Amino acid sequence: MSSPGKEIIHLDNLRKTYVMGSEEVHALDGVDLSILQGEYVAIMGPSGSGKSTLMNLIGCLDTPTSGGYVLNGNQVGDLSEDELAYIRNREIGFVFQTFNLLPRLTALKNVELPLIYSGIGVSEREERARESLDLVELADRVDHRPNELSGGQRQRVAIARALVTRPTILLADEPTGNLDSTTSMDIMKLLNQLNKNGNTIILVTHEKDIARHAKRAVVIRDGKIISDGSTDTLGEETSAIASTESTSYSHSEDPS
Amino acid sequence: MSILEAIRIAIGSILSNKLRSFLTLLGTIISISSIVAVISVINGLNIYVEESISNLGKGVFVISKFGVIHNRDDLFAAIRRNKNLRLQDGLAIKKACDLVDEVGVEIHASAKAKRENLSIEGVDVGGITESILDIEPFEIDAGRNFTRSEIVGRSYAVFLGNDVREALFPDTDPIGKKITVGQRRFLVVGAAKKRGSVFGMSRDNYVKIPITTFQKIYGTWGSVNISCRKAPGVPIDEAMDQARVVLRSRHHLKYKDEDDFGIVTSDGLNDLWKNLTAAIFSIATFVVGISLVVSGIVIMNIMLVAVIERTREIGVRKAVGATNRDITRQFLVESVILSCLGGFLGLLLAAALSVIIQNVSPLPARFPLWAPPMAFFICTTIGIFFGLNPARKASRLDPIEALRAE
Ligand SMILES: Nc1ncnc2c1ncn2[C@@H]1O[C@H](COP(=O)(O)OP(=O)(O)OP(=O)(O)O)[C@@H](O)[C@H]1O
Ligand SMILES: [Mg+2]
Repeated sequence: MSSPGKEIIHLDNLRKTYVMGSEEVHALDGVDLSILQGEYVAIMGPSGSGKSTLMNLIGCLDTPTSGGYVLNGNQVGDLSEDELAYIRNREIGFVFQTFNLLPRLTALKNVELPLIYSGIGVSEREERARESLDLVELADRVDHRPNELSGGQRQRVAIARALVTRPTILLADEPTGNLDSTTSMDIMKLLNQLNKNGNTIILVTHEKDIARHAKRAVVIRDGKIISDGSTDTLGEETSAIASTESTSYSHSEDPS
Repeated sequence: MSILEAIRIAIGSILSNKLRSFLTLLGTIISISSIVAVISVINGLNIYVEESISNLGKGVFVISKFGVIHNRDDLFAAIRRNKNLRLQDGLAIKKACDLVDEVGVEIHASAKAKRENLSIEGVDVGGITESILDIEPFEIDAGRNFTRSEIVGRSYAVFLGNDVREALFPDTDPIGKKITVGQRRFLVVGAAKKRGSVFGMSRDNYVKIPITTFQKIYGTWGSVNISCRKAPGVPIDEAMDQARVVLRSRHHLKYKDEDDFGIVTSDGLNDLWKNLTAAIFSIATFVVGISLVVSGIVIMNIMLVAVIERTREIGVRKAVGATNRDITRQFLVESVILSCLGGFLGLLLAAALSVIIQNVSPLPARFPLWAPPMAFFICTTIGIFFGLNPARKASRLDPIEALRAE
């Protein structure tokens, strides 16, 4: 593991603009952000503020309209598609807001998926996938398909899949959005443990209780960072934002 | 990702949509099975022709009154011009031609054969010299060939084809017994092995008798066929020329006159036949080729639909680290498996068809051993060719766009 404190993610005036007919939507409107190795960052903000867009860019799934992104010292814009695939496979674990599980595959096979592309053999793959599902306490649901699982269980499968490659950076888009408070706490304990082990974690959440597990909170609104600081200072200004959102608003997830 | 992994994924997606996969396969199954069935029949016909129509051995040619007639004009000219061939012509060739090793003479009639209350109709009666059994050849199953003295002595000895033997001696040994052929009584000296049937016609419904005996009964006016076997190491054309010269001089032909007889070789017959089957084969190949292209297009279409349907899956795979090559490979392997599976089922169907054709119709069919590798090769090619475009479409999808797809 490289020395803690090294800058691992650097965003420089990052913009993502969607053109809808004559209208331009600035999902990200000039984001500057620097995240150090081993940091634990919560990203907060109202619905539609650009959190998922930011996560997709950091996760090398999407490309910015303009601006720079340096990951581990590499300009992401200069990387080839194969190099990006490699990074998505080995460096980054991504928990999607909408899970993105494959409906035809069992929980176990879904979790194994990234390892197929790491070239890991069948038996080791299965073993690691089981371990990972064990971590999220789904050992008894390995043979269920996503549509045979509850929303929270699907979310945990998605987390297990993100962890199975032992990524250095974990990106989690509302990983506890569908979980009751007890399970949420278990998941947060897991993330805390991962962070203690040196993993960089970025998580999107609406809940201050969840955000408090992180050491740093970045708040965005309308594609701009409006506050960035220690979670201890998560005070009135952010609670105002949070209160405009129902913390239990439901997502219209696809079962996949 | 290894190719094995790609195969595993592809089989998973083929099995997850069995009905559609089967419908996709149908085109390939039908085209492969029809081409292989056609090949089996042609192959069967070729083998059959080689073994039987021209059941002349290698290096044998037959001089007959008409030879191979190609058309009506040929036939009329030959009828006007050609003379009957005689036993003495054969003997003269044997005496004069050193390039001809062995000469046999044969003449045919048809008669009824009887023994006690058993009988068989339409028996082909061949009057032969003893060397015919060698030259043609007929394999002896019981007893013996005629002796020289039986031929010269016009004896009433008979050699039985298998049908006649089975009809007249259902459960007794025929050797040494007497049968009636036409109006005369003959002593059975030998019997042949079964030769089987062709186009539904038995090739075992015959008896052979000495040619001298034949001519005593039926007269000497009929034209004989003269079978000649060339000497070892001599080109067949030279042996044929030598025999021609002898016959032409016996028939007092002038230099410019055409032959007044015909010569048939197994090679000649085979060439004629091969030309015919090659024509059938190329037409069949063309038709099946078109249907293969059509089934390739069906596969391509299905794969394109699959790519659209599975856009989200592709997005997920890319998000967790699949490279463009991994995705291309997955879809390419899927289309190759689809077309090869179709080819495999097509081969099974064709094998079944050729058994049915063999048993139910008079056509012989023989499933050729090179059909499976050929089908496999064709199907792989089709799978790759028609799978490439959908596979590349899939691999080029943008991960985030693909994840957003419905
Ligand atoms: N593909 C797209 N095309 C057009 N506009 C888009 C697209 N994706 C996102 N947007 C817009 O960009 C903005 C930011 O979206 P984003 O998904 O990042 O929000 P979010 O902060 O994750 O919201 P939530 O908390 O509801 O998940 C929204 O206004 C959204 O409408
Ligand atoms: Mg979001």
